[in-house]
Amino acid sequence: MKAIQFTNKTAQKIYADYISRIKRTTATLNKTDREEILMELNSHIYEGMMHKTPSSEIESLVDVTEQLGAPEEILKPLIAQKKLEQATRSFNPKHIFKALVLNISSSVVYVFFALLYLTLFGFVFAIIEKIKNPEYVGLFFKNGNFHLLGTRNPANSEELGLTEVLGNWFIPVMILCIIVLYMVITLLLRLKRKK
Amino acid sequence: MNVDFVHKWKSQVKKGTLAFIALNVLKDHEYYGYELIEQIKKNTQIEIAEGTLYPLMNRLKKENLVTSKWVEQASGIPRKYYVLTPTGEETLLQMRTFWLDLEKSIKKISK
Repeated sequence: MKAIQFTNKTAQKIYADYISRIKRTTATLNKTDREEILMELNSHIYEGMMHKTPSSEIESLVDVTEQLGAPEEILKPLIAQKKLEQATRSFNPKHIFKALVLNISSSVVYVFFALLYLTLFGFVFAIIEKIKNPEYVGLFFKNGNFHLLGTRNPANSEELGLTEVLGNWFIPVMILCIIVLYMVITLLLRLKRKK
Repeated sequence: MNVDFVHKWKSQVKKGTLAFIALNVLKDHEYYGYELIEQIKKNTQIEIAEGTLYPLMNRLKKENLVTSKWVEQASGIPRKYYVLTPTGEETLLQMRTFWLDLEKSIKKISK
């Protein structure tokens, strides 16, 4: 981006401050999007300055930026949009988390998605427990039907007629569940966005 | 009169029609951001918060209603021009039909 040159030092400072606020606000986006937004707002400021009736540089600049609005405010919906596009494209949990936080205010539906992602932690918790108490944790069947995924005291397992069916496969299966669920939820999120 | 209610209602209507207004202004013309805002202000007397136009244009682009292109300037600071796509033109016609129908209905009931 080519910076605008001001003759007045204070105007230059106000301008530099505004630009750095745009940069800070857009920091979570990818480079192309950041550049695009910066160049467009910079162009807006430049054209605004050119179209103002001649007064002092500071006055025109303050006018233009005030009418444009605070970068943090005006860019909020734009960043939420871009972030969600990026998140559902990349499957990166960091982007997904940020996109959800940014979009929560715009829709309750995203709260529902946040909850779905949270359920994944249930599986993570099961893996941790399995490592700590291998004898207690597992996928238990009773009379050939699913009974429980979680913790049971091995002492009275037999009494209750419970059999653990996964054995050493417990952790790999849990990891697989996490991956599959994660993909399904993210694909649902992508569908929701396309609607 | 409930001034507060009218005020809120007006801002909702403006927000809801800004896309329609921007597409109308872009019909048969291409404008860069600042110019587009000036045109909207001049033609509609709507005082829009200027910054809100850019997220809107991003949405219209995503929906394939407009495209944009950077055009280099002598100043070294390029302008980003927005143009209606064929889909945008068709969509605008649909929106206009709806708008006219709505206008008719409102005239009918507000006698």
